[in-house]
Amino acid sequence: MQNIDVFYHDFHALWDVSLEVEEALVVSIIGANGAGKSTLLNTIAGVLNPSQGTIEFHGKKINGLMPYQAVAEGISMVPEGRRIFPRLTVLENLEMGCYIPKARQKKNEVLRKIYELFPILEERKNQLSVTLSGGEQQMLAVGRALMCQPRLILFDEISLGLSPLVIKNIYQRVKQINSEGITALLVEQDIQRSLKAANKVYIMQSGRVRLEGRPAELSQEDIRKAYFGL
Amino acid sequence: MDSLRSGRLYAIVLVVLALITLPYWASRYWILVILLFSLNLGLSQMWNLLAGYSGLISLGQQSFIGLGGYALAVFSIYYGFPIWLSIVIGGIVSVLFALLISAPIFRMRGVYFAIGTWTVAEVLRILFSNWKYVGYGMGLFVKPAYALSFNTIYFTALGIGIASVALVYFLLRSKLGLGLMAIRDEETASETLGVDIFRCKLNCFLISAGVTGAVAGVLYLHNIFIQPYSAFGIDWTVRLVFITIIGGIGTIEGPIIGSFLYVFLHQWLSEYPSVSLLILGSIAIGVILIAPKGIMGTIQEKLGFEILSPRRK
Amino acid sequence: MLSFLGELKGPITNGLLLGGLYGIIGIGMSMIFGIVRLVNLAHGDLVILASYLSLVTMSFFPVNPLFTLIIVIPAMCIIGFVVQYYLLNQVLGKGMNPPLLVAFGLSIIVQNILLLIFTPDARTLLTSISVKTIPLGGFINIPLVYLVDFICSLVTIVLLSRFFNRTYMGKAIRAASDDEGAAQLMGINTKTIYAFAMAIATGTAAVAGVLVGMTFTFYPHTGPEYLIIAFGVVIVGGLGSLLGTFLGGLILGLAQILGAHFLGPGFQLLSGYVILLMVLTFKPTGLFAKG
Repeated sequence: MQNIDVFYHDFHALWDVSLEVEEALVVSIIGANGAGKSTLLNTIAGVLNPSQGTIEFHGKKINGLMPYQAVAEGISMVPEGRRIFPRLTVLENLEMGCYIPKARQKKNEVLRKIYELFPILEERKNQLSVTLSGGEQQMLAVGRALMCQPRLILFDEISLGLSPLVIKNIYQRVKQINSEGITALLVEQDIQRSLKAANKVYIMQSGRVRLEGRPAELSQEDIRKAYFGL
Repeated sequence: MDSLRSGRLYAIVLVVLALITLPYWASRYWILVILLFSLNLGLSQMWNLLAGYSGLISLGQQSFIGLGGYALAVFSIYYGFPIWLSIVIGGIVSVLFALLISAPIFRMRGVYFAIGTWTVAEVLRILFSNWKYVGYGMGLFVKPAYALSFNTIYFTALGIGIASVALVYFLLRSKLGLGLMAIRDEETASETLGVDIFRCKLNCFLISAGVTGAVAGVLYLHNIFIQPYSAFGIDWTVRLVFITIIGGIGTIEGPIIGSFLYVFLHQWLSEYPSVSLLILGSIAIGVILIAPKGIMGTIQEKLGFEILSPRRK
Repeated sequence: MLSFLGELKGPITNGLLLGGLYGIIGIGMSMIFGIVRLVNLAHGDLVILASYLSLVTMSFFPVNPLFTLIIVIPAMCIIGFVVQYYLLNQVLGKGMNPPLLVAFGLSIIVQNILLLIFTPDARTLLTSISVKTIPLGGFINIPLVYLVDFICSLVTIVLLSRFFNRTYMGKAIRAASDDEGAAQLMGINTKTIYAFAMAIATGTAAVAGVLVGMTFTFYPHTGPEYLIIAFGVVIVGGLGSLLGTFLGGLILGLAQILGAHFLGPGFQLLSGYVILLMVLTFKPTGLFAKG
């Protein structure tokens, strides 16, 4: 994406943001609360539309799309707070993930792969999703996003509210998913976790990109300065 | 700024004077129009007070219309009370009834409140239809009203119409009004500032009930015949809703414009009542889709122009 | 005691059967309220519209009204879809009041169009079953049409239940009502989904309309009467379950008939209203609400 300006109602949330995400890599966006990370993801997913600038995906402009159209393009999101459908079962939640007709045909195939990745989901497949634990719900949310066989997955703060062991577990799966060629764009507040998992990081503060680069090449000092906007 | 204000004041006084002297220079058609206009104005100002300022969408104002009308009929026919007294009693009965139902009704929020108020009216409708004292469903003829001249009724209606506008105006400038405006703009915040929301809304509910009851008394002076099916019918509220929406909800001028439009349309198409309602309904939908603040509200928004502003300058 | 109950077996049975009809009247409103969070004040009028559509169809093909459903259901579904897609979807999310008022406006428009076309005369969808009674279990006679109403109503609700639990669209509708934003992220076009949901709701109104027409007389302005019944059913039965709404219908029907039995025919509707008011005051989420 290039030079994006995003407004959230009257609030100028993103200023002149530019990002580049190479295929099959893991890119992390780090920043404190209110830095604009979620806004960025929401803009890519189509929930918000930029008032200026362009977003390109595999050579195609996707600026003004509605979320359900973004899915058809191959972009899937694991939203902040998971947002699974509480009154549907685990299986039904997953089925919703491949709602679009193209994906529906391959449903059973993909379902098998998801169950391999997250066996607990198969165990609980007929339970109401609201009865799952936090970690299991997160896995369900990730599994759901995978169902439509996306090319790019947006992960919005997936470690929120989960215990370190569970987080470690989930990040392992993210790595697994990425190794199959799916590009991952992660938003995280946890700096260390992001640096470990990503090939490239962007650090945002107050709606702007302050720093970008490969984790190995960035110094602690630079990161700290960018994170706090100093 | 001052000259603008006094300019408006003169304009208002002129209009009022013109209306007061209407019977001396206008045709009967126009006197009727202004008469109906005044009555609808009174009723819709009260509905607006509830819906536009207190956030209470009531679909049950007809309860008070029926009560006020029947009070007029019963007290003037059976007990020979003077008409003005019967009208006042109508207002009082309405307030008392409102007080009576306020406990359960105010436990209902939003759409439940709307349904609840409507159901109460339907209950009254059935009760009055089965009540021997008021002649069951066959209704009553308000005979004492025959003694009044058309002009007398006109002046009464005009008086109560203007009074209701004045009431709302001064109410909104009072402490109660300040509280209401705060509620209208941001309900939860105003609660933390000490505005007793419940009391505010209750008072509005009671006031609107009383005035509606009184206006209904005058209304049935004009209509002469009252029966439960129409007196407690939802049709009253239908027209009030349309009037207020089209005119501009949450503004004082809104019901004025809306009432005039309604009466004019209704008289113009008096041969075809369904058509006038159809047009009204379509306009209302159009307004909600395109200009949800109504005629006056949109004017206020675009031009910052207010004739009767309750804001203290 | 037993003889007292024996006296009541007629009213109780009639009340329950009538409740079935009420149930299906309320289902459409319950769906829309639960899914789109919209109170469709025009629902009663849509039911009556269906009754008139059936009347018109019968004037072309003199068949049993139930057969007119073949035409009336699709017609009503289309109407519902169009209304939701082009009208109501525009005002969703603009607050509580605009959708309410648009539906109100729609109600008045439908009523007056019917009035202009069909005049204020009373109508009915007369068939041979409208006046017959059949013996049930050998100890009471019930109006046949009530039984037909009840069965049709039950069948419709069972079909609806299967739709919501087994089909993709049904699940998508449930998902969209749980969390609209998340549903969009799944690739679901929620605006279209809502329109389909409304189409189904008006489809049930179609069934209700035909049944009502067979059971009672109707006028252009009968709509609001059935609107209040629909409210009653939805509020008493609670949101979120088809079964709950059906049970709400049964309770309301029972209350009405028993009320009429004890207080007199003029008080039939009153008993229903009193129950409605009591539930509104003490448990507005309904007696059988889920969660």
